[in-house]
Amino acid sequence: MKKKIVSLLLVGVLAMSAFVGCGKSSGNSAKSDDSANTEENTAAKMYTSDDENTLTVAAWDANFNIPALKAAEKAFQKENPDFKLEIIEQSQSSDIENAITTAAQSGNYENLPDIVLFQDHYIQQYVTNYPDAWQDIDDADIDWSDFGEEKLSFSTIDGKHYGAPVDNGTVIFAYRVDLLEQCGYTLDDVTGITWDKFIEIGEKVYNETGKYLLSMDGSGNDLPYMMLQAEGVSQFKDGKANIADNKTMTQIIEVIEKMQQKNVLLLANDWSGYTNDIQKDKVAGVMNGNWIIPTIEQVAENSGKWEITSMPTLSGEEGYASNGGASLYVTANCKKTDLAKKFLAYTFGGGDGAIDTYDNALRDGGVITTCISAGKSDVYQEGVEYFNNQAIYAKIVEMGSHVKVVEQSDYHYTAREKVAAAITNIHNGTSVEDALAQAQQDLEFAMEE
Amino acid sequence: MSKNKKGMNIQAKQQRAGWIFLAPATLMIAVFSFYPMIQAFITSFTTGTGVNTKAADPLNYNYLRMFADRTFLRSVGNTFLYLAIEVPIMLILAILLAQLLNNKDLKFRGLFRTMVFLPCATSLVSYALIFKSLFAQDGLINQVLVSLGILESNYNFLGNTGSARAVIIIALIWRWTGYNMVFYLAGLQNIEYSVYEAAKIDGANGWKTFWKITVPLLMPTIVMTVIMSINGTLQLFDESVNLTKGGPAMSTMTMSHYIYNNAFGQGVGKFGYASAMSFFIFILVAILSAISMKVGDNRD
Repeated sequence: MKKKIVSLLLVGVLAMSAFVGCGKSSGNSAKSDDSANTEENTAAKMYTSDDENTLTVAAWDANFNIPALKAAEKAFQKENPDFKLEIIEQSQSSDIENAITTAAQSGNYENLPDIVLFQDHYIQQYVTNYPDAWQDIDDADIDWSDFGEEKLSFSTIDGKHYGAPVDNGTVIFAYRVDLLEQCGYTLDDVTGITWDKFIEIGEKVYNETGKYLLSMDGSGNDLPYMMLQAEGVSQFKDGKANIADNKTMTQIIEVIEKMQQKNVLLLANDWSGYTNDIQKDKVAGVMNGNWIIPTIEQVAENSGKWEITSMPTLSGEEGYASNGGASLYVTANCKKTDLAKKFLAYTFGGGDGAIDTYDNALRDGGVITTCISAGKSDVYQEGVEYFNNQAIYAKIVEMGSHVKVVEQSDYHYTAREKVAAAITNIHNGTSVEDALAQAQQDLEFAMEE
Repeated sequence: MSKNKKGMNIQAKQQRAGWIFLAPATLMIAVFSFYPMIQAFITSFTTGTGVNTKAADPLNYNYLRMFADRTFLRSVGNTFLYLAIEVPIMLILAILLAQLLNNKDLKFRGLFRTMVFLPCATSLVSYALIFKSLFAQDGLINQVLVSLGILESNYNFLGNTGSARAVIIIALIWRWTGYNMVFYLAGLQNIEYSVYEAAKIDGANGWKTFWKITVPLLMPTIVMTVIMSINGTLQLFDESVNLTKGGPAMSTMTMSHYIYNNAFGQGVGKFGYASAMSFFIFILVAILSAISMKVGDNRD
């Protein structure tokens, strides 16, 4: 008898939970693929706070972005002592991207935080795909002209500002000057050179030291994008794929193949392989967004042996580019929009707390600003021991002001994947022309609606 | 029990009880499995990205599109390559291991069974990552092969198409052989020992016993494992994502990986197209399962 009652109860509980599950989401399942997704968002633990002085923000990277957010909280608390910023740490940027996708697909934004950190290369696509998931901050008290134009080109959509810039993706080329010296070169000899000259130097460095002068992740290859941007050219033209008939692209791809053949460039299979190569001391040069600096610095015994400069180009002018980076965006779920705008404007937006915010963000996380006025503070002028006491931060801010704005696209990462495949195929024997024609076709196909 | 007041006999009562017990589970399956399936089917007739979707024009646009999609066709080819090589090797190994471990005179049987089954207890992501580090250019396999003099210098296993595919197949065999072996072991234990004894008395050798007794009597289990393996391989995802990221040059990407890339992976948000491709897999699984069921039936 007892067993019967217990089992009936259990069945009842199960049935109830099923009803509760569907009742919760039935109201907004018009566009949903899977009504169970609402439950999943709770698992990601993003939330907003009921407290009127508390904002929540989802972000990733405990060594980089999160110290910057903490610095901003502290700066804002000087004027608003009751203010609290709750940081919901995510393990990677795609956690936030997926949370936005799931929320927007189900039409239920309840589980999003007030503010999210979002990758620059993705934001345009996400605002286009899910316009209801965001609130613009166009009327926030921010002097937009105080920011790098290239950085803002990502977060400005249909003429409206959506994001407050956090970090700076300016590309640095870091060289092991001790190894260059060993081969008879100085930092000046690798600044403002052509890629051909670079290959010549790289060959010598490899022959004498056994180290590659450049390395990259071969699967999501950042290299062609950065090299193109330094020439002021994009993989897109007027919203269309611009690969096969792009002469600059052809030249760059030829340079990349030549670099591989001559042991100047080491292409890793994936990102962890790439960082591994840097940390295992296989390279004499690193070129990437300046957020790569903490990775370089992990090899403590090479302290003082590195210095940074600009990129080589096809013509031999100094090259400037930008790769990666993120900004802060206000989600549709934020009810305290005024507070959010005030906070962003006061801190990351170049307001009264900007110097405090950015100085501490730099000290604690190595986050470099694109805010021109904040980049003039004393902290930025200090030499960095690891980089032979070069004032690298001032140098990066200065280089960032030269980065050319190139056409962006929602299909940025798709394009990168196709071009990376072309590079692999060329290395395996396909002709440059055929491989790029195929990349062009594949990208055009992927971009079809 | 003799008083059937409501005019119900025992059978009707039992039937009603059966339905009551089935109802909650059925309801939950309907809500959590069938409803999303229907939604996905409807979604597969839409185009556009994110929430900006509209009905496809023509309605089967997504279904036509996938046959013109080189990357998708390539992923189909990759998946079938894995299927064609991995499934037979794995099932043969599983049946041989089961036969060995079914031997009543074998010592430490329990230990060996556990060891063969253990890989199934590892999470898909972690075992993929372990294989990745094993086959890395400075990984253990390379070190061993170089120090044994088999390889001259470290080989980039995951950076070359052929070897990357081989690594995925080896990983799959390692992960799933024990799983299938357990089914065969259970099947073998249902075969009466007296059947084997009779065969022995009639003078059948081991090889003959295996083909004439074990295989026919195991047929239902074999059919089931074949269907499960086909189903599992066609939906292969974790290995492609975590071991090779689909590389080099998308030459190891599976169908599910490409579907994920279209929906979430690169933030493209093409849910209509992704759903359509999912239904293509669904149809493939149905067809292949039907074929293997038919083949199994004929032998019976």
